[in-house]
Amino acid sequence: MDLLITINCADMPYMFAVAGMGFLTVFFVLVLMIGIMKGMGYFFTRQRKVKSVAPTGEVEYEEHAISDNEVVAAIIVALKMYKSDLHDRESEMLTINRITRAYSPWNSKIHGLTQLPKHK
Amino acid sequence: MIEFLETSIVDSLGNFAKDAGVVQFFTDGDGYKALIMICLACFLLYLAIKKQYEPLLLLPIAFGMLLTNLPGAGMFHSEFFTGGHVNWGEFTAGNFGLLDVLYLGVKLGIYPCLIFIGVGAMTDFGPLIANPKSFLLGAAAQLGIFATFIGAFFLGFELNECGSIGIIGGADGPTSIFLTAKLAPELLGPIAIAAYSYMALVPVIQPPIMRALTTKKERMIKMSQLRQVSKKEKIIFPIVLAVVISLLLPSAAPLVGCLMLGNLMKECGVVDRLSKTVQNELMNIVVIFLGISVGATAVADNFLNEKTIFILVLGILAFSLGSAGGVLLAKFMNLFAKEGKKINPLIGSAGVSAVPMAARVSQVEGQKACPSNFLLMHAMGPNVAGVVGSAVAAGVLLAFLG
Repeated sequence: MDLLITINCADMPYMFAVAGMGFLTVFFVLVLMIGIMKGMGYFFTRQRKVKSVAPTGEVEYEEHAISDNEVVAAIIVALKMYKSDLHDRESEMLTINRITRAYSPWNSKIHGLTQLPKHK
Repeated sequence: MIEFLETSIVDSLGNFAKDAGVVQFFTDGDGYKALIMICLACFLLYLAIKKQYEPLLLLPIAFGMLLTNLPGAGMFHSEFFTGGHVNWGEFTAGNFGLLDVLYLGVKLGIYPCLIFIGVGAMTDFGPLIANPKSFLLGAAAQLGIFATFIGAFFLGFELNECGSIGIIGGADGPTSIFLTAKLAPELLGPIAIAAYSYMALVPVIQPPIMRALTTKKERMIKMSQLRQVSKKEKIIFPIVLAVVISLLLPSAAPLVGCLMLGNLMKECGVVDRLSKTVQNELMNIVVIFLGISVGATAVADNFLNEKTIFILVLGILAFSLGSAGGVLLAKFMNLFAKEGKKINPLIGSAGVSAVPMAARVSQVEGQKACPSNFLLMHAMGPNVAGVVGSAVAAGVLLAFLG
């Protein structure tokens, strides 16, 4: 276990400096990116709002993000109920009327390439 | 004449037997080590095939390990790369093996960057653009890298080795390989295996840490819907990020630049063919080369020592601390956030890269606390911020220690 006893103490201050500076640098770069992205986000959302006001002064309806999942669920249920009222209730029974297989040369055994031996 | 023929045949058979790998297991002093490595390679193959632990990478890595440890095959020569650089003289002499040539892509930092192009083309940065605060969680999750860097030093590793071991905490395979190939190439085998193994074990490692650091009330926090991100924003984002980070930290430019190039290909919508190619064909080809050549570095002398055990222990420590760092910062941010704007701390752990596995873990844990809670898109923000963060951390370590 040589590893445990051969710590290079001379490197210790540098090691702490690298760890501290490194972590702070990562934070600094990413915080800077937050600033840039926030600025970009502000610019683009503002541009979209300006666009949504038509020159005549009438407000065009833009797609609003629906913020609540429960609202979405309520809309879906209402639509479902509305649509289910539009047509009559059906018997809900499925009947298979046709059971014979349609003939086609593509599924014909006679035209198959592999002729299997016939056991007599 | 007959005697002469008999002698030459016996000599030839003798030489043939000496050259046979099976004999070298027993005649060579360290032959048993190669046998252990082959068994280890078979175990990794089992994990990849049967348990499906990151099989796309673990399988080629394990097979590369198998090939390089076959005595007498001469497929990889670590002495060609001693001293931290490529000894081109050996290559021009023509004594190289197949894995020596493939390894050049790792040594010259080509494969990780090509993989990053593919990763960029497969990643949606929308959640990060919509909520830039996710960058903070991605930064906090890099705590594991620097804490492990310190821990490795106290276990007696050299500074450059500490940097390579610490980067395992970024939970980003290509970044780990990129940095280790530059700082401590002799540790590439154990570090790559530790990084990919722990990435596969994200659903096992992270949940206990997440639950230990949060209350049920915190885990039930519902986050508000993210704003819509326009196509323009998605196109400008990779260009701005690549320029800013490369100007501030040139050593991170290869990784961040390639990541953003791939993303721009996806978002601009005019190079669909290129985007599909880097996501599929290029990515798959590079993964094969990268896996085999990384596995090839796991030769017995480099692998079977106490350093490997320390690396595996430090790797899991790095990973756990990274996950904890993200969760704790999210809790800290909540102290200042208004009601309705609070962050679910579970998304903090997704700040370690491991895209998209870490985000999925946040989603699953969130739903365990509250089944109507959907955290996946919120967790994707810190998750992709973690990819950028670990690339930046690698650049910082390379700048200080390279």
